[in-house]
Amino acid sequence: MAAADVRRDAETPPRNEASHTRRVSSWREHHGWSAGASLRRLAARPLGSLLTIAVMGLALALPLAFYLLLGNVQQLGQALGQDQAINVFLQPDQAASQAQLLSKQLGDRSDVASVAIKTPQQGLDELAKLQGFSGALDALEQNPLPFVLMVQPKPGADAATVARLIGDLREMHSVAQVQDSGTWRQRLDALLGVGDRVVIALALMLALAALLVVGNTVRVDIASRHEEIGVLLLVGASGAFVRRPYLYAGIWYGLFSGILAALLALAIEFALSGPVARLSQAYDGKLHIGGLPAWLLLAVPPAAAALGWLGARLVSAWQLRKAA
Amino acid sequence: MIQFDKVSKHYDGGHEALSQLSFTIPTGEMAFVTGHSGAGKSTLLKLLGVIERPSHGAITMDGQNLAKVRGRGIPRLRQRIGMVFQDHRLLMDRTVFANVELPLTIAGIARVERGRRVRAALEKVGLLSYERQLPATLSTGEQQRVGIARAIVGRPSLLIADEPTGNLDPQLAVEIMGLFAEFQQVGTTVLIASHDLPLIKRMRKRVVVLDHGRLVADLAAEEVL
Repeated sequence: MAAADVRRDAETPPRNEASHTRRVSSWREHHGWSAGASLRRLAARPLGSLLTIAVMGLALALPLAFYLLLGNVQQLGQALGQDQAINVFLQPDQAASQAQLLSKQLGDRSDVASVAIKTPQQGLDELAKLQGFSGALDALEQNPLPFVLMVQPKPGADAATVARLIGDLREMHSVAQVQDSGTWRQRLDALLGVGDRVVIALALMLALAALLVVGNTVRVDIASRHEEIGVLLLVGASGAFVRRPYLYAGIWYGLFSGILAALLALAIEFALSGPVARLSQAYDGKLHIGGLPAWLLLAVPPAAAALGWLGARLVSAWQLRKAA
Repeated sequence: MIQFDKVSKHYDGGHEALSQLSFTIPTGEMAFVTGHSGAGKSTLLKLLGVIERPSHGAITMDGQNLAKVRGRGIPRLRQRIGMVFQDHRLLMDRTVFANVELPLTIAGIARVERGRRVRAALEKVGLLSYERQLPATLSTGEQQRVGIARAIVGRPSLLIADEPTGNLDPQLAVEIMGLFAEFQQVGTTVLIASHDLPLIKRMRKRVVVLDHGRLVADLAAEEVL
């Protein structure tokens, strides 16, 4: 090696001055390198990586499973609620003509789907069919049962609408009693409302847990490579340059755990499909149980990758500030 | 030009590593900083690399006050400085080529240009045939030369070395110093911290002598006996 060689090299253009295009090209190249290197690091310690991905995947799958369960309970409630009429018992002295009139008035309401009249005789016949009642009914001198109107609210009517309808029915003079067999439905709706909130809260908490898992994994990774980071900083690497492989690691953890979560959700859906089909048959096919929407399943991996990136970004920024 | 103007450095606990240090190193000069262990040699180099900050005084490099360099300015400044360490500070899981290439990758130099310059740097330090090896397979002297190749590959305006021959045999130490002298010949300012007095005398370069953080002698090349 001669001094002339060194001099010749020194005469070639200035130190470390790269054009903008070259810098962009090099920046892209480093992104590619960081993505590959971080993936290789994950593969280099398969057990640790798999455990991290499994924990994150399970954390992300839980809200999906709850979402699936809640959606299906809603469907079940709607299916079962279709046949739940409000029974309106008229005063005992009401005649058939008045029952007809009232039935027509109620049938004209926008919140009522249909009204059926059950005569006192029909009621008595039903009672007679029940074991143990036939003897008692024979002892009656006259039929004590009133006309009953079976009012079916409009499908999809919410709890408030049904409650308003019941209130109006109770206000009527000719009505003795209103039996709301849909009360359970209101309670179910209220429970489902609580369930909705629980799913949102769970999703947020478990997303935070996934964020912390990634953050901690990246923190440990950075701690184990503090010497390398020190060297990079000494030779002029910027924080962004040093951070890049760790951000990609976060993205990989998130992406793989998102895929795992989507697969787990599909597995749960598949496991439920058999019993649900039998349940649907039991309701004459009226029960339509839905799975998770495709858009949601497709959105989970990229959303989880973004979550992983965020966790890695927060922790690496903090760790590198300490290292610098 | 590097200028130290009444530079002091105090560490937590009151230890004074440098005290009222003032001297100037013109561009393209090669100088040694020497003194006993604890004299402040390493601290002085750390201040130049913005690894430490002065407690008092100002250090200017080509008119830039290093005390005011913050944030993104630090990596930009470090890209203009080549640093050589006694413990080499190589990345042991990357090849010799990848280690030397690092400053160029950071600086955003294109791949083809990087390859050319890395091979030129490795040729200068006599390690071209080792480019695909991992540092762990090299001897201490060879690792040091990889460290030097990494320091010079970015054509820094300042080359600082902290005890670069500390772990080397005398013959290899002379070779390494010869390399530094060559870089000085092409206009790079070279500042070397060393306590190897026989080697320093042999090189016949300017010598800045420190004792307990104070400048006790500043000898021109011709004054070194």
